[in-house]
Amino acid sequence: MNAPVLSVRDLKVEFPTRRGTLTAVDGVSFDIMPGEVLGVVGESGAGKSLTGTAIIGLIEPPGRIAGGELRLAGARIDHLSHQAMRRIRGKRIGMVFQDPLTSLNPLYRIGDQLIETITAHVSLSGAAARRRALALLSEVGIPAPETRIHNYPYQFSGGMRQRVVLALALAAEPELIIADEPTTALDVSVQAQIIALLRKLCRQRGAAVMLITHDMGVIAETADRVAVMYAGRIVEIGPLHDVIKSPLHPYTKGLVGSIPTLDFDNDRLVQIPGAMPRLTAIPGGCPFHPRCAAVFARCVVERPELKPEGRSRVACWLYHDAPAEAVQ
Amino acid sequence: MHEPLASAERLSARLRRWWDSDIAWSYRHSPVAIAASAVALILVLAAVFAPWVAPHNPFDASTLNLMEGFSPPGEPSPVTGRVFLFGTDNQGRDVASAILYGSRVSLTVGFASVAFSVALGVMLGLVSGYLGGRLDGLIMRIADIQLSFPAILIALLVFGVARGLIEPAYHEQAAIGVLIVAIGLSHWAQYARTVRGSTLVERNKDYVLAARVMGRSSFAIMRQHVLPNVIGPVLVIATINLALAIIEEATLSFLGVGVPPTQPSLGTLIRVGQQFLFSGEWWILFYPALALILLALSINLIGDWLRDALNPKLR
Amino acid sequence: MTAAPLVRVENLSRTFDVSKPWLNRMTEGLPRRLLVAAENVTFSIDRRETFALVGESGSGKSTVARMTVGLIAPTGGDVVIDGVSMTDRRQAAEQRRLRRRIQMVFQDPYASLNPRWRALDIVAEPIRAFHLADTRAETAAKVGEALTLVGLDPADGGKYPHEFSGGQRQRIAIARALASRPEFIVCDEPTSALDVSVQAQTLNLMRDLQDQFGLAYLFISHNLAVVRHMASRIGVMYLGRLVEIAAAKALFYAPQHPYTRMLLDAVPDLTPSGRQRRPVEGEVPNPVDPPPGCAFHPRCRYATARCRAELPQLIHTPAGAVACHAVAEGRI
Repeated sequence: MNAPVLSVRDLKVEFPTRRGTLTAVDGVSFDIMPGEVLGVVGESGAGKSLTGTAIIGLIEPPGRIAGGELRLAGARIDHLSHQAMRRIRGKRIGMVFQDPLTSLNPLYRIGDQLIETITAHVSLSGAAARRRALALLSEVGIPAPETRIHNYPYQFSGGMRQRVVLALALAAEPELIIADEPTTALDVSVQAQIIALLRKLCRQRGAAVMLITHDMGVIAETADRVAVMYAGRIVEIGPLHDVIKSPLHPYTKGLVGSIPTLDFDNDRLVQIPGAMPRLTAIPGGCPFHPRCAAVFARCVVERPELKPEGRSRVACWLYHDAPAEAVQ
Repeated sequence: MHEPLASAERLSARLRRWWDSDIAWSYRHSPVAIAASAVALILVLAAVFAPWVAPHNPFDASTLNLMEGFSPPGEPSPVTGRVFLFGTDNQGRDVASAILYGSRVSLTVGFASVAFSVALGVMLGLVSGYLGGRLDGLIMRIADIQLSFPAILIALLVFGVARGLIEPAYHEQAAIGVLIVAIGLSHWAQYARTVRGSTLVERNKDYVLAARVMGRSSFAIMRQHVLPNVIGPVLVIATINLALAIIEEATLSFLGVGVPPTQPSLGTLIRVGQQFLFSGEWWILFYPALALILLALSINLIGDWLRDALNPKLR
Repeated sequence: MTAAPLVRVENLSRTFDVSKPWLNRMTEGLPRRLLVAAENVTFSIDRRETFALVGESGSGKSTVARMTVGLIAPTGGDVVIDGVSMTDRRQAAEQRRLRRRIQMVFQDPYASLNPRWRALDIVAEPIRAFHLADTRAETAAKVGEALTLVGLDPADGGKYPHEFSGGQRQRIAIARALASRPEFIVCDEPTSALDVSVQAQTLNLMRDLQDQFGLAYLFISHNLAVVRHMASRIGVMYLGRLVEIAAAKALFYAPQHPYTRMLLDAVPDLTPSGRQRRPVEGEVPNPVDPPPGCAFHPRCRYATARCRAELPQLIHTPAGAVACHAVAEGRI
């Protein structure tokens, strides 16, 4: 059986402030297999972006990884030095961020940026690197790459820029791509193209993808498995269709129900009362309990852990409310 | 109705919120800010209450005794036996009292000129940034011209022009006013530039558009919506400029074109004291200069703290 | 509907001059560059109706919204609200009176509230500006009413915007829009910046308020699914022109213009319903340099030589109106 490309165990990210220490990511665990697309979905404040940032080692102080293990193909990466992490970033983990405007350096031609990335991680001659860059550009669908390789970022449209960013991320043939809201800043018609492209390229290369987004629709088009995050924790994780068609956790149910669709069946959108709690005021027990319609006594005092239920895992007392749980 | 009780509760709630705010916390945890503001407060209060605090009014000729002149600090005068804390100058004036009264003038000119340049600069910056167009171009070109001259030169220029325009009989009375305008005019461009930049950013924001949809006039929007959001950096610049204005006034007075001799400021005292520095009566220069340094330094340090406290990135 | 429409937008156009400064043009011999943000846009909105304008970036929908509300002056055409022309200078007095009845809700809940004002002052601004209350107590009462209407606690009126969440701020913006009891509200992507669950709350709230107060909405959005829940009629814009107008059901069941079909195809499918999806091609071109003829032709699979040369006009069909040669010729 394959070993996971990325293995996260009990990740905790904290921010010390003068009002006390805020825990933004609280005990997150998941695996990503080679070639798999894991969608991490959640609303703002859920901690999904921070999880991605922690994995690539770019948490800005005073924030810090306060606990847990991160393993890339079996080897730990959470305690590496800056230098070592830099070598991994780009070569073994590629990143795609939300804003293509700021992901590319406006002062350099995209060809130079591509070639620089390639030669930094793969030992190729200048000419070979250039050929590789041209091949990448045409793979991501940039027309006439021989001319466009000399262009500056401002000469590209938003969607084209994001394609270049994809090319940059794939340049060194990484094992894992972390994409944080890769399509949010793009037009709707372009979103679909970029998502399809991401899926195709990663399938071809066997690269795993961690797709972080708040847009369930994007996840539904791309992901194999979905992790739903709430208040810094994963509340449900499982195969895509299971989570969307038959969500287990009340939050997931509410989330899926509140997404407007093109069907005319439901006229009024399902709404979850209240809002995601702020980091300074996360409720005790299950963090979702103040907003949950199915809340009972245990939810208020004890925090549920992720436990298997069918093909998914869910952190909810509705499913695991047996007093004597066998310890694994 | 429960109005008075409710408003008292609201006030204490607001005070508590202010005490908990980031700025108040930053102040409480900055020893430099606390020390500097303590020093500045003492100096300012002493100057404000000079007539009651000072041993005597050194500029009232009837209280002076020439025989007490050049009395060293802390030692009894050879003739009358009175002891002066900081000594006396050539005319028998108690240096300590002179500093207190002199600070009054320095601080008045300092605060007033800063207030003048802030008012002028902020107003022009707002109008320039919000209305744009040729008015903006005109104001900014004038600001550019003004910024290319050293402040002292502009102050001298204004002073000279005023001297020419005002009848000699009124020179003394008008001197302080002219000085305030002169120093004020040499600094407004900074505020105008800063405020214009911030205004350009704010005027495209949705809350300004919302006010425009309501049909509010440009002046109402500038005053009520834009101004509170652009005034922050102005406070920092103003605090630091206060120290500069006080020193500028001292410089002008030192050069002889500032305050008239009947209303000496710290600068005048320094000029007077300079003459006697090398003949042994060092205290006539030393103590007024020390007062000026302490005043300017403490205000400057408060300005530094304020700038860091208001900078969201450093928090 | 025999009553006259509340809002009539007629041939509304707006062109921006984005030429380089005169000096550069003289020395470099460059021509003037004009950006046609909107051209000949015509639609009407009845009372109590929601009309949606849909399009991607560069479509001009935001420009049209701002012209409707009077923030930008049109370079052509007119906006007539309840019989009063918004561009006619002679009607200045009536236009001023009209302002109370028109309001706008913006996209960014973080930028649409003045960060230095308290919530109650923000909501009270229209009340004070239009002199709708005589005493402070009356103003406070009306503000309290407005806040309660949107589901907020009047006691929170003393707080500043940064103390509220994004969804709550948008509610304050809606409360501000309601404070003057308007009849027509222009909503520019009001939920695009909100989380999905908060979006649901906000959209439900807006519908409830519409029912309660008989409001007419001009709803701008790029999200067709959201528009489906809000609008009774929809206009699709592409590069400044209206390419299709239809009733909501007709648009979603039988879209006519190729761009509308493409937009519908691009909406992600949560539950694979077996809907036939065609791959999307190309991107929105630069509005400064639009393609000749029909602006959509580079991305259209039905384009012919006529499409590349001739601009299609809006023709009326049983379903609504479409600007497409292929539809006019009966090819699709």
